[in-house]
Amino acid sequence: MPNVITANNLTLSYDQDDEVIKNATFIIKKGDFVFITGPSGSGKSTLLKSFYGNLKPREGSLVIGGLDMIDIKKPKLQELRSHLGIVFQDYKLINEWTVEKNVVLPLWISGYSAEVQSTQARRLLHHVKLSGKEDKYPMELSGGEQQRVGVARALAKNPFLILADEPTGNLDEYSSNVIWDLMENACQQLDTTVVVVTHRIPMVFNIPYRHFTIDENGSVYEVH
Amino acid sequence: MGAFMKFIKQHISLIFPLVAILLGLEFFIVFDRTTDTYEKSLSDSYSIMVVAREEMSIDDFKTWDKHILGVKELSRPEALRGMKLVDKKSLEESLPYFYKIKLDNLLGIQALEQVKQNLTKSDTIKRIETFSSTYKSQYELFMFIKFSFGLFIVFMTIIGFFLIVKQMEVWNFLHAQRMKVMEIFGASLFLRSKVLINMAVIDAILSAILTSSIFIALKNIWVSDSEMKILKEHVSEIFFVSDFFILLFASIFVVLIAVFLVVINVKGE
Repeated sequence: MPNVITANNLTLSYDQDDEVIKNATFIIKKGDFVFITGPSGSGKSTLLKSFYGNLKPREGSLVIGGLDMIDIKKPKLQELRSHLGIVFQDYKLINEWTVEKNVVLPLWISGYSAEVQSTQARRLLHHVKLSGKEDKYPMELSGGEQQRVGVARALAKNPFLILADEPTGNLDEYSSNVIWDLMENACQQLDTTVVVVTHRIPMVFNIPYRHFTIDENGSVYEVH
Repeated sequence: MGAFMKFIKQHISLIFPLVAILLGLEFFIVFDRTTDTYEKSLSDSYSIMVVAREEMSIDDFKTWDKHILGVKELSRPEALRGMKLVDKKSLEESLPYFYKIKLDNLLGIQALEQVKQNLTKSDTIKRIETFSSTYKSQYELFMFIKFSFGLFIVFMTIIGFFLIVKQMEVWNFLHAQRMKVMEIFGASLFLRSKVLINMAVIDAILSAILTSSIFIALKNIWVSDSEMKILKEHVSEIFFVSDFFILLFASIFVVLIAVFLVVINVKGE
């Protein structure tokens, strides 16, 4: 399987004195489902941010989908991001847009026709069990429903990599299970690589996964 | 009605400061245009009286001061009109030469004094009358009006800019989240700012139309009914069709700068 993420002695920091992630070396392959856990403030979200180019590596190397994240230029980064699916704990939906418009955001950015956008929106909303809510606004939905819109948006362009930062952090158990099911399906049926930052790995998880943990010193280990 | 009110609420906060700036700009253009003409008419109606021992030509005068534009000799019989004299002819011959001198523009008080000083240096010139007190009051009043109006325009423009800065903060509050999300999903700068650009350009066009309408109304209603001679004389200069395009260009330029500053200050999360 080809490598999707390759980190070699990767060091991340927000300023010169404070290293958040130190000398991390790992490879994540196509189709892998990866959980990244660790205590609060250990750098889980920071590591994820570096995967979508929101934080440049300070030292070492990081290659995502064949692109070196150290020297990546703005247009290439925009192109890379348009092929990623990103899910956030606080959903990051656009409140003044309808559910349908939120879901097709990655398609709209890539210039797909209105017809393709509409067809894909219906398919995705059916997939996340939100059919009939196309014209609702995010604020009219429950937290679990909003996160399902977030997952649908992440899946809109069949990304090669899904990055999820605490996707179930604000959800009840039922909604969390729905989200995990959707993630499992994406990984299993579409062979998408999924990287999830979480405090706790779900008790019931139906597919094989890898587990990285970050200790308080910012060192990354594979534990499973 | 609800949609209309929503539209007004969304747009008025930018249209208002834009109109303030555009009014300032158009007032400046119109004022500059009208005062130029007025300045010229003041200058045309003003002349210096010179009494010379010998006949002098325009070139003779110009050698003494570069501001001299034209010279008109007053006929000597004119000066003696109304007098009952026995030997009018010989008296006429013994009289000096009288000249009315036009200047090239409306000079300041000091510059006018300098013209007088320069002419005094000539041995041929006996006497110079600049009518400086009348000139001074006209000149100072004109300059005071020009300065006050300029100050008012600057003040209006500053207020307009402050209101636009305030509007930029509102935009930042309303649009930052959307732009951040779009950036995360790989949208270009243009796509991220498209909504804001569309809105701002609409406001810019509306502002230019509104400002032009105000001036057209001033021209056709207020000035026509006005008793002020100076306004009536210059009514044609109050608004040109080309002014609309100047206003449109200026307002689009201002809003695009504002949008650009908002967009580049929004960083993805």
